[in-house]
Amino acid sequence: MGNVGAVFMFEWKRSLTLPRMAWWLVLAGFPIFIIGVIRFSINASMRENGLPDPTPRELWIGFLFALGPMLVTMLGTMLWVTPALSAELERRSWVYLSVRPNGGTAVLVGKYLAAVTWVIPPVLLGLAVAVPLSGASNGWQIWWTMARLVLLSTPAYAAVYLLLGTIMPRRGMVLAVGYSLLFELVISFVPAVINKLTVHHRLQALLLQWCELDIPPEFMSGAISLIGNTPPWQHVAILLLYPPVLVTASIGILRACEFSSSAESDV
Amino acid sequence: MIELQNVTKLYGKVIGVNDFTLKLGAGAYGLLGPNGSGKSTLLNLITGQLRPTLGSVRVMGESPRNNAALFRRLGYCPGSEGLYSSVSAFEWVKYLQQLQGMSTADAGVAAANALDLVGMTPSMHRSISSYSRGMRQRTKLAQAIAHDPDILILDEPFSGLDPVGRHELTRVLLDWIDLGKSLLFASHVLHEIESITQSFLLICGGRLLASGTAEDVYAMMVGLPNEVALRCNNPHALASLMLREQVVDSASIVEDTVTVATKQPARLYEQLPGWLQNSGIEVTEMHSADESLQALFNSLMKMHRGEL
Repeated sequence: MGNVGAVFMFEWKRSLTLPRMAWWLVLAGFPIFIIGVIRFSINASMRENGLPDPTPRELWIGFLFALGPMLVTMLGTMLWVTPALSAELERRSWVYLSVRPNGGTAVLVGKYLAAVTWVIPPVLLGLAVAVPLSGASNGWQIWWTMARLVLLSTPAYAAVYLLLGTIMPRRGMVLAVGYSLLFELVISFVPAVINKLTVHHRLQALLLQWCELDIPPEFMSGAISLIGNTPPWQHVAILLLYPPVLVTASIGILRACEFSSSAESDV
Repeated sequence: MIELQNVTKLYGKVIGVNDFTLKLGAGAYGLLGPNGSGKSTLLNLITGQLRPTLGSVRVMGESPRNNAALFRRLGYCPGSEGLYSSVSAFEWVKYLQQLQGMSTADAGVAAANALDLVGMTPSMHRSISSYSRGMRQRTKLAQAIAHDPDILILDEPFSGLDPVGRHELTRVLLDWIDLGKSLLFASHVLHEIESITQSFLLICGGRLLASGTAEDVYAMMVGLPNEVALRCNNPHALASLMLREQVVDSASIVEDTVTVATKQPARLYEQLPGWLQNSGIEVTEMHSADESLQALFNSLMKMHRGEL
């Protein structure tokens, strides 16, 4: 555990640079900017037509969900965790880490924890501003639901990207983008067994059950066919299982594979 | 200390190490071989980063793959650079010592001591990006010795060092050996190894060609054709003279240079001045190609294949 802590602290310290801090602010500002633009457009339309706010609460919740626990969390974890191994291999610094006692494992776990703790605060901060900005009723309840989803989605997505980056370090980012687009954004909407493998499906189900959404009866059967009748605790339990299972799998792959700086070119 | 039994490492169809069998006791050894000879692959096998395709590798009686206990006793300085540019040498070495299992305070002390040993104290709090090649090399060495390992494995440690740096590093390594610790270091420069140890392992084409002391290696060369190139004003006359005197086995001429192969280099060197004086031939340049390491390895490879 000590060397995991060392990697965690080292990575956090390295992240306190201007470019990384700027990226932190971008992550926090992204949902604020998008919700702000939508709010501004609606306000302008209301002023022009003299009509009341036509946006239902559920639509704001949809936007906030897509931006916070989904998009920003995925983007933040993908960009940090996927290259956890490949960055060391490309820099040729892996060799110094891998000849330490359990060095490879410490690097993977330490970087994973650093990424999770680095991504959660800007998302929560962004949502804390974006929720009141949206003007949706019961803002506190929406933020609290989103916060719980962020706390579940960030470790889960980070674990998925860590695994993808370990399976294929040289093409990890391509694999992660492909996975995100295909599985998390397309297949998660397919009402079949396969969508249960996605993090998005679990988050969506929890959102519907936690946020007391006012879904019209004609849409309710469609929503149930998509999310099923699984109780919330099962979704939470499965999301909590993602990190230990996938991080352990990543460590297993790491220990089985050879990641030497000695390529064929420099035998 | 290190035992390799019929170790072969393949990268697809490329052979990195070929049927390598070796048993080394405690001590200091130089792994000598030209670039691309398989030295780095061999060190990667010994440090457990690579798994042999065939055969077995044992370091202190244990397999080095994912061996945490062994890694506590092993220091490795790779040939590639791979340092973090945005941190200081102190932070980096301290970080690696923490990974070694030390507490933050102990890691800081160990890092400072190791950096002091390699002469990096004045610059150790500067960003690595501002370091010269030699300073980076010293920093790499510091991370390998900071945890006081029992075996130190170095890949081209003198690379990029100026003469003063080489001298200082030589002193550090000799002191290390005097402490009774073991050392295995790879280089493609003969005198770098000779300055540290007299125990050689000669590797070429992924094979162990020879091992022993420098004298053993030179003794193996006795009786092998020695190639000598001479640039002169009358190469045809010089070539026929040496062939007539039966001191060379073959001769070839390219422009103004005669290249001869001889099994009697001592006789050639002794009698050549007299022949030149009597014939009036002027030699402006002379060198023995076999003084180069590659020629030595070529000869040993031919011996290995049974061609000599």
